[in-house]
Amino acid sequence: MTTSTTPSSTTPSPSTPSRWERFRDSFLLYSFKRDLVAQLSLIIFILMVGAAVLAPWLAPTNPYDLASIDLLASELPPFWIEGADPLYVMGTDAQGRDLLSTILYGMRVSLVIGFGAVLLQATIGVCFGLLAGYLGGRIDAFLMRLADIQLSFSTLMVAIVVGALFKSIFGGATYSDYAMWLLVLIIGLAEWPQYARTVRASVLAERAKEYVDAARVMGLRRRRIMFRHILPNTLSPIFVISTVQVANAIISEAALSFLGLGMPETQPSLGSLIKSGFDYLQSGSWWITLIPGLVLVVLVLVINLLGDWLRDVLNPRLYKG
Amino acid sequence: MFKKTLLASAFGAAMLTAALPQAALADNTLRMAYDADPVSLDIHEQLSGGILQLSHMVFDPLVRWTKDYQFEPRLATEWEQVDDTTLRIKLREGVKFHSGNDFTAKDVAWTIERLQRSGDFKAIFETIDSVNVVDDHTVEIVTKQPDPLLLNIATYIFPMDSEFYSGETDSGKAKDEIVKNGNSYASTHVSGTGPFKVTGRQQGVKVEFERFADYWDTESPGNVDHIVLTPINENATRVSALLSGDVDFIAPVPPNDLERVEADPDAKLVTMSGTRIILLHMNQERVEAFKDARVRQAFTYAINQEGIASRLMKGFATPAAQLSPEGYAGHNPDLTPRYDLEKAKELMAEAGYEDGFSITMMAPNNRYVNDAKIAQAVAAMLAKINVRVDLKTLPKAQYWGEYDNRAADMMLIGWHADTEDSANFFQYLTECPNAETGAGQYNAGNYCNPELDKLLEQANLELDKDKRADMLQQIEQGLYDDAAFVPLHWQDLAWASANNADIEPILNVMNFPYLGDLVIEE
Repeated sequence: MTTSTTPSSTTPSPSTPSRWERFRDSFLLYSFKRDLVAQLSLIIFILMVGAAVLAPWLAPTNPYDLASIDLLASELPPFWIEGADPLYVMGTDAQGRDLLSTILYGMRVSLVIGFGAVLLQATIGVCFGLLAGYLGGRIDAFLMRLADIQLSFSTLMVAIVVGALFKSIFGGATYSDYAMWLLVLIIGLAEWPQYARTVRASVLAERAKEYVDAARVMGLRRRRIMFRHILPNTLSPIFVISTVQVANAIISEAALSFLGLGMPETQPSLGSLIKSGFDYLQSGSWWITLIPGLVLVVLVLVINLLGDWLRDVLNPRLYKG
Repeated sequence: MFKKTLLASAFGAAMLTAALPQAALADNTLRMAYDADPVSLDIHEQLSGGILQLSHMVFDPLVRWTKDYQFEPRLATEWEQVDDTTLRIKLREGVKFHSGNDFTAKDVAWTIERLQRSGDFKAIFETIDSVNVVDDHTVEIVTKQPDPLLLNIATYIFPMDSEFYSGETDSGKAKDEIVKNGNSYASTHVSGTGPFKVTGRQQGVKVEFERFADYWDTESPGNVDHIVLTPINENATRVSALLSGDVDFIAPVPPNDLERVEADPDAKLVTMSGTRIILLHMNQERVEAFKDARVRQAFTYAINQEGIASRLMKGFATPAAQLSPEGYAGHNPDLTPRYDLEKAKELMAEAGYEDGFSITMMAPNNRYVNDAKIAQAVAAMLAKINVRVDLKTLPKAQYWGEYDNRAADMMLIGWHADTEDSANFFQYLTECPNAETGAGQYNAGNYCNPELDKLLEQANLELDKDKRADMLQQIEQGLYDDAAFVPLHWQDLAWASANNADIEPILNVMNFPYLGDLVIEE
């Protein structure tokens, strides 16, 4: 660490290093520069997120606008195969949707659901984990049993039941309008125990340390101790689970859509695209399933690779020895 | 999560393959896969292709169609017209039901009486006034008026075991009760005279049949001892199951896999051009706009039947503009599909719906060839005239319940004329709905034109063939002008089997495979 009297520093405030300097000197950046896989993954990930965010401007057509679909242009192959139409670079699906546009929009859905669901999971999970770990006793027992019960239901099952209930209560039209947010909610609510358990474990370890005793002796309130003192010290595992959970949530959405229970048929996501091409996989039009399938695999893979790298970096045993 | 699902399906597949060789130990087992299994064992609960296919396996009709539209005697051996309204039928002797009871004339009378109580069948049998049991093996069917189609409907009389279905169950319900989409004694217990007995049934998983040892038709060449019917909803999976040898017989074969099946040296494909019309009803009771004929016309103008037939069906269907296929008396050659988007928009504007409206649509996803895809394509085509469609596709076991409740504004249905005659289409699909007579039982559009109904009534009494055909064609014209429904296409038929199953002779355009006569070469 630099001291306050470093003469070579050119930053305006010589007393403490700026955030940028701290980042530049950090082990995080150091290891990133030496990890080719992490660099590649990050580049691909940023490209994919960028393409998804800019989908309305990048995509040649809006696949969710049914009026733009032409059945007569169905099952056209991608550009490198004979019989392709230059209008549809990646070909079209069985209904005549432009595959490239649908994939871009589908990726958007996947990412929104992935990150949205994880944000929800993390918020609930971290709060419950902190409460359970720090307060202990009955609250701890109650919250952890709740987590146990929740974990005994699979996410898919919960999603199927909630989705079906919502559909029958509010009707299919309302469901189509809110399908994406409903999926965020379902996947988010179904997986909070993952966070709660990890956070609780870290909190139990931190609670016994002197700095927590010191804070308590100083008379700080419980909320402040939990969120300002303990939480920052449990962040590394949270980051690591988050990457895994984002990938999980994306796969969950794809699986639900593949089963026909996720995004409505008129707003295909990657999962429903894969399903719609399934019938054609062995009868010539393989691209309808294969291309979105590859996109999904790559998206999940780079997130997982980034998560792996992050876990290695944040694990103190691996670099501090 | 995904891993779990994958694992589960792999496990399921392993179970399936593990179960199949076990069944194959018996001498001649036919493992077949349809897109769905029968919804009930009560053959009077629902008038549908699946139920009639089951009827031909477990029961025998009085007479059945041959490939060239002749009547083949089954449980009826002879018949003669005693007078204009009376048909005397001699019944086969020495026939036994699966329960061991003897088949007699009173079973026929009992069955016709039950058919007349069935909501789905009563319209066909409305013409019958009374059934007289002359002796144990002779019955007389008396019609209200002279009926040119009485023998045609006799193909739908599958005598049931009246003794077996009489009395009450332990819970005090009548055993012969007909409950739609519910639990009745007859929907889970069955006794017929047919070539196969049902030995096991798990709804949605499989139905197992065993050849009936005392089957009367000892001259039948059929040599299948066991049948395992597995429903496989996924088109690609069903075809793969055949090509990999997991099953011996599949139907339907999806249009995009026809070439692949034909090219496979171990499988054979049989196709026929079909007579089943696929159409969409527009419910006038649920949607005010559908009461306006211009809106209905706009819908028929907006939908590209030829596009659906050539792209989604791969040419494996004939685009339709009316109900009667070519060759039927009512087929009107002047009517052609009228796809014209501009005209559709004009008509919508004229009716004051330039900005369109929202409707709900339902379609089955395992009943007709490509049914769910067709519905999606129609939704996209309607979007072009600003009609927003909220589409729901569901398996047929649930779909028919929703259909009976008229649960959506537009509903997809396919219809095959039970009597091989145009009048049957009108009776079920376009006549003014009447719960008492059973007219318009499947008219989910609530379309009602009393003039056309009157014409139909006259046609049904007309014994002169040409005059009758003329009247039926007038009805088609009237329906076309009114745009009573959205016709899509007549669906072709395709079956495929392993090479050693000789399926060709037992198949027919009605899509009732006579599996009792199927020969499997050793």
